Order: sequence, then C-alpha cells, then structure tokens
Amino acid sequence: MNWEELKQEQPTVMTMLEQSVEKGRLAHAYLFEGMKGTGKRDASILLAKALFCQDKTETIPCENCIQCRRISHGNHPDVMIVDPEGNSIKKAQVEALQKEFAYKGMEAGLKVYIVNEADKMTASAANSLLKFLEEPESPTLALLLTENVHFMLDTIISRSQKIAFAPPPIQKRISLYEEQGLTQAAASILARFPDDIAGEYAEEKRDWIVHGRNLVIQLVEEVQHRPQQMLLTLQEKWLPHFTDRQEQDIGLDLLLFWYRDILSVKYEQDNLAYPDQREKLKQDALQLSEKEVAKRLQQILEAKRRLRANVNVQLLMEQLLLHLQEGS
Amino acid sequence: MHFIIQRDKFVQSVQHVNKAVSSRTTIPILTGIKLEVTSDGVTLTGSDSDISIESFIPAADEEKEYVEVKKEGSIVLQARFFADIVKKLPGDDIEVMVQDQFATTLRSGSVVFNLNGLDPEEYPQLPKLDESRTFRLPQNLLKDMIRQTVFAVSNQETRPVLTGVNMEIENGILTCTATDSHRLAMRKAITESTTENLTISNVVIPGKSLNELSKILDDTDDLVDIVVTGSQILFQFKHLLFFSRLLDGKYPVTKNMIPEQAKTQIELPTKELLHSLERALLLSKEAKNNVINLKTLEGDVLEVTSISSEVGKVTEKIHCHQVEGEELRISFNGKNIMDALKVIDSEMVHIMFTGAMSPFILRPTDHDQMLHLFSPVRTY
Repeated sequence: MNWEELKQEQPTVMTMLEQSVEKGRLAHAYLFEGMKGTGKRDASILLAKALFCQDKTETIPCENCIQCRRISHGNHPDVMIVDPEGNSIKKAQVEALQKEFAYKGMEAGLKVYIVNEADKMTASAANSLLKFLEEPESPTLALLLTENVHFMLDTIISRSQKIAFAPPPIQKRISLYEEQGLTQAAASILARFPDDIAGEYAEEKRDWIVHGRNLVIQLVEEVQHRPQQMLLTLQEKWLPHFTDRQEQDIGLDLLLFWYRDILSVKYEQDNLAYPDQREKLKQDALQLSEKEVAKRLQQILEAKRRLRANVNVQLLMEQLLLHLQEGS
Repeated sequence: MHFIIQRDKFVQSVQHVNKAVSSRTTIPILTGIKLEVTSDGVTLTGSDSDISIESFIPAADEEKEYVEVKKEGSIVLQARFFADIVKKLPGDDIEVMVQDQFATTLRSGSVVFNLNGLDPEEYPQLPKLDESRTFRLPQNLLKDMIRQTVFAVSNQETRPVLTGVNMEIENGILTCTATDSHRLAMRKAITESTTENLTISNVVIPGKSLNELSKILDDTDDLVDIVVTGSQILFQFKHLLFFSRLLDGKYPVTKNMIPEQAKTQIELPTKELLHSLERALLLSKEAKNNVINLKTLEGDVLEVTSISSEVGKVTEKIHCHQVEGEELRISFNGKNIMDALKVIDSEMVHIMFTGAMSPFILRPTDHDQMLHLFSPVRTY
C-alpha cells in the first residue's frame, strides 16, 4: 500500500503524520493501535521511508530510490524491525534492540525502530525499553504497533503518543468483496473478518466459507426447533467441516454473527451478516427477548475464550449448543 | 561486472572481510560480501553493522598484475557459501562474471559455480571520510593501548556508554579511557596528525570492536591512519579498512576523578605484587567477592591478607622498595588490581593512596603514560 492509498483508508492518521513530518514535529515514540488489517505496519514503514527518502514529493516517499527500496526489503541498517518470534518477543530480541539503541546510527542521522505486536513483549522486556524510550541519546523514532493497547504497560503508553487506526467501514469492505465476484451473502460474512483471514477465504477457500455459513443456519434452526437433531449435526457435519483451531474459531464467529443479527433485527437495523435470512431472523427475534440473546452472545464469547485454552472441541461445542438451546 | 583474479590474493581478502560477517543478523543483505570492481582493482566489504571490514586488491602493483578487469560493476554474494567456494576452487585464477538479475558465475579451472547474488545498491553505505579528523599511530602502540584499556570496560548494559573505550585528543596527546565505574584504566600516547591542533572528544569505541581490531593488528611499527566521522571510526591499513560504529551518549568526565595528592605512597616490583595477589585470591575466589586487605607495617613491609569465613585465611608480607606517609589499612577488589598489573609491562609500580575510603592510583614508575584508578571496598 502506498501513501495515497493508505491516506484514503486512514485519513486522520495519515494527515496527522504528514503534517508532523512536514513541520518536523514528530514525537520520539508513537504507539500505533488498531485492528488487524488496518494498515499499522504499512503506515510505520511508509513513515520510515518518508524520513529517509531522497526523492520525496512533499512528504510522500517515492518508493523507488535506494533508501525506500532498502526499507522495503528490510535491508536498511538504521531501520530496525522487530517481529515476535513465535508467541512472544524474546529477551534476546529486546537485547539486540537495546544494543542498537546504544550505538550511533550506521549511516549517521536518524534511527527508526519498529516493534510489531509490541503487546507481546514480556513485562521485563518492556520495562527495559522504557529508559530508551524516555531519553534517547541521538535522534530516534520508535514505532510500537499493537492490536491490544490494554496489554501494554501504562508506563509505555504514557511515554508515547497514541495513534488509533480506525477500522474500515463495513459497507466499504462488503462492496470490495462483491467486486471480487463473491455473492452478497458471502461478502457480508467475510467483511466482518480481519483482512488476512478474509483474504484467504475470499480466494481459494470461497466454497468453504459458504458451506460453513449454511451449516450455521442449519444448526441454529435445529437449536430453536429440532433440538434432538442438533448434536447429530454437530457430530456429522460441523466437526468435520471446522477442523483446526483457526477454523473452529471462525465457526464460533459465524454463530456469533447470527445472534448479533437477531439483535440488529429487533432494533430494525440494516447491515446484517446474513442479509438473505432476514425472515428467519425475524422469527427468532420474536421468540427471544433481548436479555436472552445477550446471554447467548456471552456464551459464544466464553466458548471462544475456552477454545484458546486448548479445550476439547467436541465437548466445548456440545456444551455451547445445550446452553444455546435452553438459554441458561 | 567481469574480472579475472589471482586465487591466493582473493582468498586472503575474502577471509579478511569474512571476519566481519555475522550469521546472526537481522538485516538480510549483511549475510553477504560486497564485491566492487573498478579499473583500479577489486574492493571487498563485509559487515555486521557494528564493524565493517573493507579489503582492496589493486589491479597491479610494481611487481605483478593481480586482477584483469574486463567490465566494472558490483555485486553482493552470500558470504557463507562464497567464502568456502573460493577456498576450494582448484585453479590459480578465478573468473567472476555477473549477468542479469545478479546471477553470478565463478569459474576456475574446469569448475563452474552459478550463484544468486543480491542487489549491491542495498548494501549499507560506509561513511564518507573527512580527512580533517585524521591521526596516526604505529600498529604495535595501538595494539598495546587497546590491550591496556579494553579489559576495564563494563560488561553491563545498564550504562551502555561504559562498554566502550573513550578516545580523546588534545594538544597532540591521545588519551584512551575505559571504566566500569569501579575501576578506570587510562593510557596516553603522542600522535601525529596532519591537521594542526586536532581536538577530538567523546569518541567512544565499543570494547567488542576493539577486541576484533586487535586481532588484525600486527606487532610492527607500520603506521595506522585513524579517521573519526560522526558515527563511525575508521582504522586504515595498507589495502585494509576497519570501520566500527561508535557508542551513543556522553562519556563521563574522568579527569577530575583522579586525586592529585597522596597520604601514603608505595613502590614495589610489579611481579611480586601480582603473585602475592594471585595467592591471596585463591581463598577469596571461593567467597566470590575477591576482597583483599592491605596494611602497612613498620620497615617498608606490606601485609596482604584475605579471609574466607568458610575456608580460612591467608597472610603474606611483602617487602617494598619504599613506603611513605601515613599508616594505612585498606580493602579492595583484588581481581581488578590483578587485571591492571597484568597489562603493565614495567618492572616497578607506584601506588598512591589518599585514605581508606577514597580511590587510589596505580601507575608504572618508568613512565607516566599509563594510570589505573580503583575504588576501595568497605569491609565493615
């Protein structure tokens, strides 16, 4: 994504950065915060380019000069990008970063550090960064990227300027997927997932998501009207379809969207995840009170949490379905 | 790019620059060695971003021709494979040719290697040299200076600037200082400089880089040109350049730490003190604090004791050449003193105490180019 494209998606953020660069008023540390797929990483790399580019027009980097190319390929010695190795940012990585802080730049001038998923730093790692965030010796720019700003240490948040990346409007994303040739039904579902997951399913696994969606519709109908069959459907269709952890999580999300749609229908709102099922949703909405729907939403969220804790999937789903059915 | 080069010369150069290449780098291009060919010759560069080594092979010198340049250009090749390949090639000459997309062909005898190169433009640029901040030192002197200071740098990252050796030049005198805040080592030397009244301050070279540099330095009195730039320092040998990045931050002012008056002064042979400390440390090593007690007695005698509550006690009396001033009882970290004594080449050392609770100075008697400062340990 280049500067212009990103500016269309994140007008507030990019305008602000643009003006800061123009006036030379960049803060020494920024905390980019926003959903997956909101362009945090792109923005951080573009910002680094804007500072190093030799041939920029106003603040917009050219993407073509040596500096820009080196940053794109991760080859610029004064732009350091830290990604979590596995599940966390390891101590050795933070030590390497600290060492970089201690040295002068390789090619003189500015140094830029980009820490991706900064919330995955351990508390001690984050603490050791504090000192350098606070009083860098020579001109440095630290860019911390995170999806969960609440997992960050307060002391880090207070030392950096927080920039919130807005999630893209859902309507825009739906039309984007429709342009790719998806049906309205599938596009409405996919638009609700983060970019990287949705991208995968919009391409080669298109049928998979459509099939999964139909399964959800069948399952919730059985939960409401034919509870004796729901466990059979779970065993025969649901479990073979949603196989690994990521897919199971998507399955639960699909269920979540259904119950959220019931609430939306109750309040006569548009913008449903299952727009073609409006009639069925209306019927369900008549049978369930708002409180009951809210309770079911909570149960699904709870199931999502447990899924992350390595719970046996079959037991988890059976329990969830029973809860959904009796509403307790 | 296309050239033919003498194998021996090439292998030697590749091995030199390969020392700087690290396999554990986050920057992909730094896994490679850069070759640059001009009509003057071939330049090789290797770097791990902290240190960079550049080696130059001239096209020809007075005796013979080393390189036949057919086409100028540059390329970056994976160091891991390239270094081994070059070493194992059978012929006396190696032909290197780069085609489109950085595809490189190495040919020697009947062997042909095709390697995928990387874009040479992406390789870090080494700093432009500003000749006005240049001075010279003989290689063996530089090596000594490194040996005599670098042991005192701090290993702890809490104050990164102390992990380096500070270089200063004033009035033609170069001062190297290293400290870990418990001890300090200082070494001075007279330098030659092309610029009048060259003044350099706060140039802090990482201890690690100096250890690497020290491996390259020979015991000759050939001169090394040293150039200081904003972010790097360059040591320039014949056909070899060694760059190191500098440490960021302000080095503490050490001048006013050094006491000028003494209450007690001792003079004794270096070796005797060293051996006696070694013996005393046998016990305190066990207690892991390395504390040694020193007491002056009547008749130019020093008493060295060390106590380890679990193991036992050692007492030794040393006859000094001279003990002057007040009576003294002091405790210190014996390991630090030993480190300093090991790098002092003179026969006799002179120690100046200014009381049991203030730092003391140790220096060789035959010249005043070197100085070591230690802070005592409180033992009660």
